[in-house]
Amino acid sequence: MKKTVYRFSFATGVVIAGILIILIFTFLGDKSKGPLSEFLSKIQSRVIDIESSYLLSQREPVRSADLGWFNKYRTDKELLKSPDTIFWGIYDNHYQESFENVIKLEDNLNIDNALIQLYIAWGDKPEQEFPMKYVKAINSLGSSPFITWEPWLNDFDRKKHGLSIKEDQNKNGLLDVINGDYDFYIEKWALDVKEFGKTVFIRLGHEMNDPYRYPWGPQNNKPQEFVDAWKHVVDKFSEMGATNAVWVWSPHQAYMMYEYYYPGDDYVDWVGVGALNYGTVAVWSKWWSFSEIFGDYYYWLQMYNKPLIITEFGSLAVGGQKDEWFFDALNKLPQKYPLLKAVMLYNNDNDNTTLNKTLDWSLNSDTLTWKAIHRAVDNWVIDNK
Amino acid sequence: MAKKDKKDLWTYREAKEVRSIDRFIYYTLLFVGIMSILRFADWWFRPQHVESLPLFTLLSLIIWYGILRIFLIWLNYSRIRKPEFVEAEKGLKVAIFTTSSPGEPLSMFDKTLEACANINYPHTTYLLDDTQDPAFKAVAEKHGAVWLELVGLPGAKAGKVNAALKMIEEDYVLIMDPDHIPFPNFLDKVLGYFKDEKVGFVQVAQAYYNQYRSFTALGAAEQTYTFYGPTLMGLFGFGSSVAIGANCTFRKKALESIGGHGIGLAEDLITSIRLHAKGWKSIFTPIVVSRGLVPEDFGSFCKQQLKWSRGVFEVLFSEIPVLFKNLSFWQKVSYLAISTYYLVGLTTFLYISIPFLYFWTGILPANMDFSEFIINGAPIIIVAILVYMFVQQWLSHPEHERGFHFHGMILKTATWPVFLLGSLLAVVNADIPYIPTAKKAVKGLSPYTRPLIAHLVVFLLTLVYIIYSRLTIVSEGLLIMTTDKVWGMFSFAFLTIILVVGGIYAAFESKNLEEEEPWSKIDLKKIKL
Repeated sequence: MKKTVYRFSFATGVVIAGILIILIFTFLGDKSKGPLSEFLSKIQSRVIDIESSYLLSQREPVRSADLGWFNKYRTDKELLKSPDTIFWGIYDNHYQESFENVIKLEDNLNIDNALIQLYIAWGDKPEQEFPMKYVKAINSLGSSPFITWEPWLNDFDRKKHGLSIKEDQNKNGLLDVINGDYDFYIEKWALDVKEFGKTVFIRLGHEMNDPYRYPWGPQNNKPQEFVDAWKHVVDKFSEMGATNAVWVWSPHQAYMMYEYYYPGDDYVDWVGVGALNYGTVAVWSKWWSFSEIFGDYYYWLQMYNKPLIITEFGSLAVGGQKDEWFFDALNKLPQKYPLLKAVMLYNNDNDNTTLNKTLDWSLNSDTLTWKAIHRAVDNWVIDNK
Repeated sequence: MAKKDKKDLWTYREAKEVRSIDRFIYYTLLFVGIMSILRFADWWFRPQHVESLPLFTLLSLIIWYGILRIFLIWLNYSRIRKPEFVEAEKGLKVAIFTTSSPGEPLSMFDKTLEACANINYPHTTYLLDDTQDPAFKAVAEKHGAVWLELVGLPGAKAGKVNAALKMIEEDYVLIMDPDHIPFPNFLDKVLGYFKDEKVGFVQVAQAYYNQYRSFTALGAAEQTYTFYGPTLMGLFGFGSSVAIGANCTFRKKALESIGGHGIGLAEDLITSIRLHAKGWKSIFTPIVVSRGLVPEDFGSFCKQQLKWSRGVFEVLFSEIPVLFKNLSFWQKVSYLAISTYYLVGLTTFLYISIPFLYFWTGILPANMDFSEFIINGAPIIIVAILVYMFVQQWLSHPEHERGFHFHGMILKTATWPVFLLGSLLAVVNADIPYIPTAKKAVKGLSPYTRPLIAHLVVFLLTLVYIIYSRLTIVSEGLLIMTTDKVWGMFSFAFLTIILVVGGIYAAFESKNLEEEEPWSKIDLKKIKL
């Protein structure tokens, strides 16, 4: 009997001691990131720097040389706020493997993509951190990174961060942002942006006036809360010294009332809208021309007197002539819309974010559209004023 | 003076007792270790990690085979046990066998036989000789040993032992390696265990005295420290401590019950498994009551390892299938674990190939983030290191043997081609000639160095290729995107290369090793009990 008691307490003791050790480890790592992974990302970033400066610097640059003209813009934030030319940009869904697709396409289109877009959601996961590796790669290619930063709040483990539990974290989520609940995340981003040091475009909480799409929209928050949350984030960045961010405010032009979401001239550097023609793939869509999607709203958008950007530019092929759509859209574009200072191709061949089927927006092998774009761009007259 | 004594090799040593608190701490470590393994498993087996299914399966096999080995070792330590000392009965009839073969240095036998004569417990020493050299007979007679001429018997050492067993009347036989110098209390420390009628053999720790001679000698000795301490203590706890070549004392009746000492490249392991299958118990006592020699040059070390790796598989293929049903559960586990140990040659080879496969073909076996791999694998490694450090308190001579055993690790990595060769020979059932472990250093660069040099050359060429391709071939859009993978893989390859370069160093050092007879310096009168 005595032996049984001894053995039992021995075993219990072992389990308790083991659990304690595990808890200590877990507790030590109880930050959005453990100390080890923090250390490893630092190493990764450092290795990229070392390789770039000692090995890759020996290489004859091609793309960044082609984009040499863009250098004066990306190093001068003031010039970027009122550029005297029009930039091309691109989002390509294969960027995580490489930017080869981007380079191939721009060679075919005869353009230089000064901006390269990434979409990053807020949250605790590694892929929700500031994408240091990718922005460094973009920078080395001679472009500026353009990050669409989406404040989905459900990917934060609030308990882990010592925050009160909410049933729906997105409900009144922007109030929590204003109250500083997510400052740990915003500050980390600001520090990373500062460490990167080069110009980064950040499009925060886009299409905030669309009541159906994103959780930071009006179904969960009041317009004023969006404005205050925006200011909170931008102020945090300035406080942390991340002055190299260029802030892009990006409403949905078709839903009115977006002026209530405007954070103010001091807090916004660029104004952006999307221009995607879904053709006839969805019940709610028809073949809309570029002037229907964008042109009709230009008058209202130019009133902000900020440089304008088309953040997603593209058309599907169902329901009309895709190449003609591109030609019509781009023909004499700078003449028609003098404040439009950037157009970003939406080169996504695997888009399943809007409909429950996969849409192909890509131009990777669409030679007809390439020709249409060549023809249209030939007619551009850029007013260097 | 006292401080110096702690490291003195020529003093009787024994491992420390296993206390309850030690077990408590150990089980706690084991618990955390198992949790780490489960956590790693949870992370490892995810569909998004599969880049290519066959390669992922192969990689999983290598990694999980390695983790299984780590787990088996942890499990083994959970029953770590030291037998309680039993006083030897008086009047037992004991024989000491030592064998001599052509080419072995006479002066070594002079020393060993003198040390045997110095053993306190009454016994008879036999020299089992096939040198056909009268000088050996003379040296035996000089130290009062019985000289038996046993020429032309199969199976080298074991053949002579079996022949001699039939010629003697004693009940217990200590088989002494001729390069080992026994301490006078050897028999007093082991004979008591035979009071238990079921005990078939008593093994003591093996210890060495020529570690100082070379990198190879130190590495070879370091590889054995943990085995002849905690590992065998654990096996003893599971009732499966084995005989290990030298300094094992057998009950003659036990050997007779299995038709004599086993014959083969791993004759001691064969003998152990047969005795265990017959129901005999074995004792391992972690005491230092003799010291011997390890191979001093890289070539001899590799030959010894080839012999063992080939021989141990024989146990897997020939002995285990026949004897399996007669073994206890834990004996089955132990012998399966021991007899598959040298698969490490194959797994090391595959493991080394991974980075080169990536550099030359771009193939990645798994789609994993490097840092995630490290973060998830680190707890297992940390626990493994803690366990390694923790069980070192049961080394037979901790003051001397403690440490990370880098030399041993280097030699182990550098001998992967030997292990691989051994396992391949076993699979095709091809023989290697019986090569006695060298007692003195052999000159010249060992042929076993060639695969290591080839590995180094391939590594350097690959480095040149990486730099060249990143300067010219790799497209700009891919460069920075692949920095972490390329240099992560490179450091992976680099870690192994450090060890391989250590092995090459050991081989070159062996070339210039001065010949010496280490036993000539030993003063038997200075052995302290």
